[in-house]
Amino acid sequence: MSILGYTRSDGRVGIRNLVLILAIARGPHFVAAKICEQVRGTTYFVAGDEDGRDSDDRLTIARVHAGLGSNPNVGAVMIVCNSRTTGYPELRADVLASEIRKTGKPVEILDLEKCDGGLYGALGQGVRVARRLVVQISRQRRTSSDFGALTIGIKCGLSDATSGLAGNPVVGYAVDRLLDSGGTAFFSETTEVIGAEHILARRCHDDTVRRAFLDAVAKTEEAAKATGEDIRTINPIPANIEAGITTLEEKSLGAVAKSGHHTIQGVLRYAERPASTGLFFVDSWMSSSSLFLGYAASGAQLIIFQLGGGALHVDAALPSTSTGLVAPIFYATGNPRTSRNLKDEIDFDSSSIIEHGALLAEVGEQLVGILSDVASGTFTKAEALLYQDPVDVYLKGPQL
Amino acid sequence: MGQRIVVLHEKDNVGTAVDDIDVADILDYGMGERRGSVTAADRIPFGFKIALVDIANGEDIVKYGEVIGSASRSIRAGELVHTQNVEGGRGRGDIPASEGTRARRRTSGKE
Repeated sequence: MSILGYTRSDGRVGIRNLVLILAIARGPHFVAAKICEQVRGTTYFVAGDEDGRDSDDRLTIARVHAGLGSNPNVGAVMIVCNSRTTGYPELRADVLASEIRKTGKPVEILDLEKCDGGLYGALGQGVRVARRLVVQISRQRRTSSDFGALTIGIKCGLSDATSGLAGNPVVGYAVDRLLDSGGTAFFSETTEVIGAEHILARRCHDDTVRRAFLDAVAKTEEAAKATGEDIRTINPIPANIEAGITTLEEKSLGAVAKSGHHTIQGVLRYAERPASTGLFFVDSWMSSSSLFLGYAASGAQLIIFQLGGGALHVDAALPSTSTGLVAPIFYATGNPRTSRNLKDEIDFDSSSIIEHGALLAEVGEQLVGILSDVASGTFTKAEALLYQDPVDVYLKGPQL
Repeated sequence: MGQRIVVLHEKDNVGTAVDDIDVADILDYGMGERRGSVTAADRIPFGFKIALVDIANGEDIVKYGEVIGSASRSIRAGELVHTQNVEGGRGRGDIPASEGTRARRRTSGKE
């Protein structure tokens, strides 16, 4: 199995070729947003506010900026800042630019303080630079790479009974095939392994990884208990319960099937990049407003969002559009009703397993084939929209 | 459409409806060596669970061959198994840690 991608100077392979506009403070967001409206092939990131955040949270924001910029789907970066040498030390334009330049890609800094004509002068200059970058990276051609060049981030959402019966096992099959090919996969949602962690613990590479994994789960369960509430009033979310999921344990046991069967090589923090290839657990909040952004910053070129959707009765809006920013989201379902109701949104339907007793391996191979098409340039349905849902960096500290 | 309920593991005491099931529908199922039949005592919507056998108050609810919770009252074979008759054992901030309820048995995540 091969894909057609953009081999970058650091050897990683992009499946898209975007110019990323990184606004590293709130001030320049206006400029970044307006540049993206004017220039084809650009996308931008809004981090929210770093002011009054502790260093741990600021480092998380910095990892998101540097990780998105370093993602191989990004061919060039323009950092937009108020001033290149001021601000929190982790979030200075110079620091982030030098981190991203390690990949060898072009990084420009648009410093609002240095632009003639203030904000509107900066906007004009930004459009000019972004156009030049887009033309420059458009000269690169797709070439053949192994399927294993991919890093795929995985999440399941709107879980129902079909998630554990069909949807997640099929995704798990594709994950196994990717890892067999030397690729990398991320799975996460720490709350949603509670009740199934003993199964995953057996798959950890060694005791160090196992301790890190079980510690992450224990901390999340402690946080749940500290609320003084029954977790069932929080997660499973109401849509899960409406669709027949009864307890968190049941949801977790269906969810872990998406991780396939390979050894878990390590536990990553949100937006942390792995040191090797293989399967990694990311200790993160499950929200698709946050997790896909983190996956992209960790280096995922592609994201699979596996939906149950049993509580959706109409052609509802999907919970997340383009929240991977630079990494397209591929929607799959194992629920025949979701597939029918959301036919304009779903990229892959594995419901033949439930409806016709189709074999997992057969449906899984179809998924692998379609994923390699998407990796080679075929758009996902969500990707065809210019619209992008708001994103939310996963921060844990107090606002001071 | 083959079976209208799916049983995922030989140890399971619940099945999952893959069709909308009406009261008095007779449902055949198979899993490995195990073959059985159960008559629905409730409406069981697509994706919801049905008790395959009588389950005593406090007994484990088993799906995927794993414990997903415990019965909060006695459940008869054929009944809908959901939040009205099952409680979770994990993440229970509403139960003091000192209380030795059945829910506490599984907080370590061990079987």
